[in-house]
Amino acid sequence: MSRWRYFAKRVLLSIPVLVFGASITFLVIRAGPLDPVSAILGPQGDPQAYEAIERRLGLNQPLWQQYIDYMVRLFTFDLGQSWVVQPNTSVYELVLSYAPRTIWLGFWSVLIAIFIGIPLGFYAGLNPNTFSDYVASFGGIVWRAMPNFWLAVILMSVLSQSEKILFGFDWEAWLVPTIVTGPPPLPDPIWGLFTNPDQFLRALKKIAPAAIVLGSASMGNEMRIGRTAVLETINSNYIETAKAKGVPPRSLVWKHIFRNALIPLVPIITGEAFLLIGGSVLVETVFDISGIGFLFFQGITNGDMPLVGSLMFIFILLVVVINIVQDLLYTIIDPRVGYDGGN
Amino acid sequence: MAQTERTETRSEQEPLLSVENLQTAFFTDKEVIRAVDGISFDIRRGETVGIVGESGSGKSVTARSIMGLVDTPGRILDGSSIRFDGEELTDKTEKEYRNIRGGDIAMVFQDPLTSLNPVYSVGNQIKEALRLHQGMKGAQATEEAIDLLEAVGIPDASRRVKEYPHEFSGGMRQRAVIAMALACDPELLICDEPTTALDVTIQAQILELLDDLQEKRDLAIMFITHDMGVIAETSDRVNVMYAGEVVESAPVEELFANPRHPYTQGLLKSIPGNQPDADRLETIEGDVPTPNEPATYCRFEPRCPKAFDDCTRVHPEGVEVNADADDHTAACLLYPEDESREEAVAVHDRRGNDEEVTNE
Amino acid sequence: MSGVNDDADASLVERIRETPQPAMRWLAGALALFVLEAGAVVNAVTGLFGSPVDIPTLLSRDVIPNNGYQTPAGVWEETFLGLSAGQAWAFRVVLIYLYAFIVAWWVWRGYLVFRKHYRHADWTPRDDMVDRLRGHRWGQFGAIIVFMFVVMALFAPALGPTTVERTISDPYSYHVEYYEDGELQNTTVGQANLGSRSQGNPDRNVGPMQYDDFGRFHPFGTIPSGKDMFTFMAAGARVSLFIGLVSIGISGFIAAAFALLTAYYKGLVDLVVVITGDSIMSLPRLLFVMLLSVVLGGSWISSIYNGGFLLALIFAGTGWPFLWRSVRGPAFQVAEQEWIDAAKSFGQKPRVTMQKHMAPYILGYLLVYASMSLGGIIVAVAGLSFLGLGISPPTPEWGRAIDMGQAYVTTSSWHISFIPGVMIVLVVTAFNALGDGIRDAVDPQSEGGDTSTEATAGTGGGA
Repeated sequence: MSRWRYFAKRVLLSIPVLVFGASITFLVIRAGPLDPVSAILGPQGDPQAYEAIERRLGLNQPLWQQYIDYMVRLFTFDLGQSWVVQPNTSVYELVLSYAPRTIWLGFWSVLIAIFIGIPLGFYAGLNPNTFSDYVASFGGIVWRAMPNFWLAVILMSVLSQSEKILFGFDWEAWLVPTIVTGPPPLPDPIWGLFTNPDQFLRALKKIAPAAIVLGSASMGNEMRIGRTAVLETINSNYIETAKAKGVPPRSLVWKHIFRNALIPLVPIITGEAFLLIGGSVLVETVFDISGIGFLFFQGITNGDMPLVGSLMFIFILLVVVINIVQDLLYTIIDPRVGYDGGN
Repeated sequence: MAQTERTETRSEQEPLLSVENLQTAFFTDKEVIRAVDGISFDIRRGETVGIVGESGSGKSVTARSIMGLVDTPGRILDGSSIRFDGEELTDKTEKEYRNIRGGDIAMVFQDPLTSLNPVYSVGNQIKEALRLHQGMKGAQATEEAIDLLEAVGIPDASRRVKEYPHEFSGGMRQRAVIAMALACDPELLICDEPTTALDVTIQAQILELLDDLQEKRDLAIMFITHDMGVIAETSDRVNVMYAGEVVESAPVEELFANPRHPYTQGLLKSIPGNQPDADRLETIEGDVPTPNEPATYCRFEPRCPKAFDDCTRVHPEGVEVNADADDHTAACLLYPEDESREEAVAVHDRRGNDEEVTNE
Repeated sequence: MSGVNDDADASLVERIRETPQPAMRWLAGALALFVLEAGAVVNAVTGLFGSPVDIPTLLSRDVIPNNGYQTPAGVWEETFLGLSAGQAWAFRVVLIYLYAFIVAWWVWRGYLVFRKHYRHADWTPRDDMVDRLRGHRWGQFGAIIVFMFVVMALFAPALGPTTVERTISDPYSYHVEYYEDGELQNTTVGQANLGSRSQGNPDRNVGPMQYDDFGRFHPFGTIPSGKDMFTFMAAGARVSLFIGLVSIGISGFIAAAFALLTAYYKGLVDLVVVITGDSIMSLPRLLFVMLLSVVLGGSWISSIYNGGFLLALIFAGTGWPFLWRSVRGPAFQVAEQEWIDAAKSFGQKPRVTMQKHMAPYILGYLLVYASMSLGGIIVAVAGLSFLGLGISPPTPEWGRAIDMGQAYVTTSSWHISFIPGVMIVLVVTAFNALGDGIRDAVDPQSEGGDTSTEATAGTGGGA
């Protein structure tokens, strides 16, 4: 089976996963013991209003009917409204205003992880058992164990009082004036970022601490895996063959070792993307970035089930898309994919 | 294998590869492993020299030492000499060595499945060699790659050149590896157990291919294996290695007809085909030792059926087995066989001391 | 291993009877050690069935008390041997840990005695694994830290300077005596707490290793409500360990069962489990756990251990696919072995085949991944408590401590957020190290990076 047919197969397989995930969400929300209507109305609501809302939410229908309605709506991207967090605002609008901040955060986190973590890991693999290798590896291990919300708390506090702690270096006044917490100022329309360097810098600096926290957590893992991947590749027979052919070291590293070492890194990179979806909640809370993770948290604590249900679907969709991207990357990098059944 | 009829003029020709007193050791935290401990042999142009021995005898390390592929914690010790085509290889810088690797001396490894880089096409890898040593690029290189694949007997070469290693079968992969090794017309081809990972019918095909190529290109081949049958088929000359030393060296027919060293005798006896009527298969009891110190005794002594006292005191050097044979040597205190025991031991003793003197 | 041979060899009991000395010596030591803590064990066991029986234990806070006070003359009253409160506490802690390590060592000795004298086989493959563990420094480091963590959780009531009841749950029912201005005063613990709060101000702060104004010693300082932080952390250790162990236990069992079933039956069973597992794996885990913990927060399960048991179940339910994926490889490998075919061919029941022939082979791998996932769960639980979603107060949890200390990180009360974080990093690193050690012991040739590290990454530091 050719690589691309394998890829098509994987794309097809992700549809049942999406359906299944949405169904579970439905089960939890509707069939669970939580009562969305009370959450909306508050503890004292008169029975009439209760029934009215119930009807509007479609909750007086039999469960299977609700399920079908729910699935149909989701797959036609009718995301409904938020009822508690920002009543009568469509989820779509909310997402549009909250999501860009999370995307900005996620973008830079992934970048930091990839462009610092992987080169560090490759460097450690190419120079194994040296002092810098040990330092880097040990650092990676400890960093992996660090709870990112703790790092966020510390970083936020240190930066907001940086004159006291960092020997007079004032983070908040550095380059462009920003305060440590709060959402990054993203211009509207979004491509204003690229035309206005001052805005870009401001938004970047605002998101930097949070991105460092999120990115560095994954960085430890990528470094470790990258190091192992390089070590294994270096010791493999085809590298010896290449050496015996007289291939110079530069070409050896960049052509032969790199691409092979990247293969085991692909699931790690996409794994980090999953982390962002979950981990961003904590970091967004600490740094007060009103992103989509924070919105989800608000929705849960306020019992805004319609919002939560739609957001969950979006997240699941994101995860599925990331999986597809991962398969795409595999198909491009590794020609063996799909030949003997793939990974 | 084409047995060359050059035995009379053998000693007069300048050898293509001349290895003298090669010593390669690995220095780990725990111990020093003297993988190759002072071996010497020659390879002439167009000749096939077989190196045979059990696992751990140092055959592969020899090959890698010649190629300059020995990495820390191992290194070639001072006093070793590898002369190729008149030049001393042990003096070369890494950059100079890279020109030689693949261009003048090429190597084929044991496992074709893992010898090729899985993410690049076969053609790509052959063209890489062509580009490195002959500066060929583009369409010209592709043409040459296709020719090479045809030369090694791969059908439909123009389609195959774009395919990936995993799409080739085992035997074809090894052919492709050989094609890659020959891409730059080397003068010496080192084959490290090239057929061990293949099944018997494919093995025969590959050996035939090597024979063919040797004739067409006047290729010298160093053939490393543990299989005496393959040696019999392919080699002109055989060096038997044990625990890092060459214990016997002879033309192939002479070796099989008149093996002198007890180890060689044991090896030949243990081939099942040689014992058709035996009830029990004769073997050589014991394992190959891992040498840690320089040898001041015979390393085979613990397993030798013919060992005697002096064997633990005197290190056997490679001596002619008798006064007439000038190309059959054996490192055993029993030889030269036409001298008395004490005199023979004295010969070894003297030779050993001479060598020590010249080494210091 | 022992006693089930039906050839002429003796059973374990008979073998012991043959050479009784080593076994007797070991039993004597074990009995002596047990006596030291017998009171506590009896207390715990009878406590399960009703009102606990109170037998004095040697290593308890009653025997080595540290809740005394200091007279103006500088003499300490009501502490162990008149030592200062801090010293008495330190002494007790050292004793407890010493005891724990001696017990562990004695158990190890017992295993060695068994191996040398009473085991039927001279050597089993497990011996090689154990020997590899013995030389593995990193794994041993992990094992020691994990052991200390477990001891902290098990001995929490005896380890802290005070108990959870006194300072956290019921502070107004207990009293403390202290000297103030030359007079012996007596107030409730609750009042004392109010006076010992750590709220960022150097005047109103009790830092690590300090005494508060009431003569009480605080090894980790106090939290903003004035309660002792070490007691808080020790009790929190219990909660984290409980949730971790229960959830890993359940998900490990499910993962192992599924792995064996799918490897044995293959085909349709495999397909169903794969689809189910993949679907669960593709749900964003932390978010889903948050959702479930809120939705099910009102149910009866969440009242067990203040939500701890519910959390354990949720983690188990969302976590089994990762563990299953990890042991699926080894399970399939074992299913390909010929002895499985042989067992099938003479009609061996599937359940017995799986238990006897397949399970031992995946057990090692299961341990490795379980150990690594445990760390991730601890971090995740801390994260949930940090948000206020996990364990509800007043049950202590490390994440909540970090939350409480958020505002004070750059002040003199930095210890409130800092110490729990450091401890989390230490414990999680130790679990990972232990997993590394077990993996190197079980399979020395396995690679350093494996596909399931993606899974542990999902539950690890990123959570």
